[in-house]
Amino acid sequence: MEWTGMALLLLVGVGIIGTGLPAAVVLVAVALFGAALGWATGTVPIGLLWALPGRLINILDNDLLQALPLYVTMGLLLNRLPVADALYRACSAILPRSRSAPLVSGMVLGALLGPMNGSVGASVLGLSRVISPRLNAEGVTPAIRDAVVAVASTLGVLVPPSLVLILLSDTMLSAHTLAVTQTGRADRVINTQDIFHAALLPAGLFLVLCVILAWIVGRKATRTVKPEPLTVSQGLVAATALVALVLLLGGVAAGYFYAVEAAAMGAFTLLASGLLTRRLNYTVLRDVFHDAIAITGALFSLLVAATTFTLVLRILGTDRLVNNLVGAIPGHDVLAVAGVLAVIGACAFVLDAFEIIFVIVPIVIPPLLIRVADARWVSVLVLLTLQASFLLPPFGYALMMVRGTAQNPAPLRLMLRALAPFLAAQWLLLMIVMFEPSLVHFGQGEGEIGRAPAKDLSNEEINRRLKEMVPPPSMPDSN
Amino acid sequence: MSWLCRLDRVVGRIIAGAQWLALPLIILLFLQWPLRDIFRSYSREANDLGQIIFALFVAVSVTAATRAGTHLTADAIAQYYSRRVRVRIRKIGALIGLAPWALFILLASKSVVVSSLQVREAFPDTGNPGYFIIKLALWIMAITILAQSLLEIMRRAPRDSA
Repeated sequence: MEWTGMALLLLVGVGIIGTGLPAAVVLVAVALFGAALGWATGTVPIGLLWALPGRLINILDNDLLQALPLYVTMGLLLNRLPVADALYRACSAILPRSRSAPLVSGMVLGALLGPMNGSVGASVLGLSRVISPRLNAEGVTPAIRDAVVAVASTLGVLVPPSLVLILLSDTMLSAHTLAVTQTGRADRVINTQDIFHAALLPAGLFLVLCVILAWIVGRKATRTVKPEPLTVSQGLVAATALVALVLLLGGVAAGYFYAVEAAAMGAFTLLASGLLTRRLNYTVLRDVFHDAIAITGALFSLLVAATTFTLVLRILGTDRLVNNLVGAIPGHDVLAVAGVLAVIGACAFVLDAFEIIFVIVPIVIPPLLIRVADARWVSVLVLLTLQASFLLPPFGYALMMVRGTAQNPAPLRLMLRALAPFLAAQWLLLMIVMFEPSLVHFGQGEGEIGRAPAKDLSNEEINRRLKEMVPPPSMPDSN
Repeated sequence: MSWLCRLDRVVGRIIAGAQWLALPLIILLFLQWPLRDIFRSYSREANDLGQIIFALFVAVSVTAATRAGTHLTADAIAQYYSRRVRVRIRKIGALIGLAPWALFILLASKSVVVSSLQVREAFPDTGNPGYFIIKLALWIMAITILAQSLLEIMRRAPRDSA
């Protein structure tokens, strides 16, 4: 039945594209179909599905996932408060007067707001509102405008403590735990903090590349920009936001507080400032919380559905099949990593980053980490691939969001042409990190780097350990 | 008023109430750090209470997303379907996906949730009361999803104008 799981995976892709139904509904329906198929043919012990409620309670009981509604609320509050506007004006005022200033300001704003916004969707909404009208006024073409907004919106994916980073960290932690236990390696299992640190240098490199590209592209803008005046209150808001952001990032990076607490601090600060300045009243707050619960639900329904689906795949034995396939990739570890990243990249044509994190990563990453010991390196490569997936035409989430929110969206072909240099920079960085793993171990001691297994394990041995690790859950009481 | 309208109204009210849980969630999780590192007391209580509120918020959020239409979807092909076809597809999705899933969760989690409720299970790490509410939240999630699925299935399909 191992290949049935692969067929179900394909069915999910077809179902999502063909029906237009929410991905969560398709995942649940296909999972039930797979379970029924296994039960009807008598080939799988369907009683294993009784483990599902326990897994779902783990989601409701997960400390790290508490960050999710907080980030969503933070993004929504940012959109209703003048923080983004103040930061943009401050950035424009600081930069030397040139045609490139608006595009560079847009990129910097994306990097600053990304970690606070948490999600790409919230960043797109915020940046579209603040940057797009100004770029229009400066004579920047819609294609370049949309490309810059899309790229800037994804910068937060790499800059900690973003939502994508947190969700990926949680999934990588589970995958690494599984791999370390199966191989018997003495590695410390990676945590959110490790992945935050590992992503910092690649994120900085990508930001520098994007700013350079924005400056080059911006020289073709139609006229030199006169910076908008920065009022005292806007300057204060920008300075406060910047200090808060540095404290937020620094505090998480230094381990003073957890990502959830950082998110709560950000949300609380925005909430308090909005109430004190009377920009938030009952009606606005009601709308913010209405949107917050709806967007949070979209992400959690996906997580719940993916948990159901991956359990069915495990019951069908697809995880062992994937393990064997990854183990069979010939050559150096780089080839195995490239093969798995290619699968994730291919999935990005039909699935968005959150779907990939919840559905694909738990299937393909544990076998990869069994083979490749450096979990930080793999995590950052997956992160870079996910960031690229947000911009991958035609279904990249950031692309679709930008085109959906723009009043006069550029034709896709022209937008892709404007996007091409940024995509090239993204893939260049991916290649650099792939062939230079030391970039993700910046400031890390030699002893902390993941070690290869003491001896190579056969696929049979790994599968035997996997079975030992996941014993059949007990059936519920009949009474 | 038909029972469908009543059900619709009840689900709407549950969501309208649950959305405000975001406020205590933000405050409690914000307080964790000063309580732990400055006042050195009640940080675990704030964390546990935040966990309960988080579970209830998330439990209702799935249905809130369905009603607000915020679920992640790929519309590349489906945008060309008529409204009637899309509504029918949604009905089928609720009928073969969400409704049976919610029923299965209610059935499969019965012993876990009921036994937790009976002993008023406390948080295993801290001993603080209320952990059973987190398990109960799973039922709240399943029941609201089931109710919303029923609404989807029973709702009349629009006449095809396309």
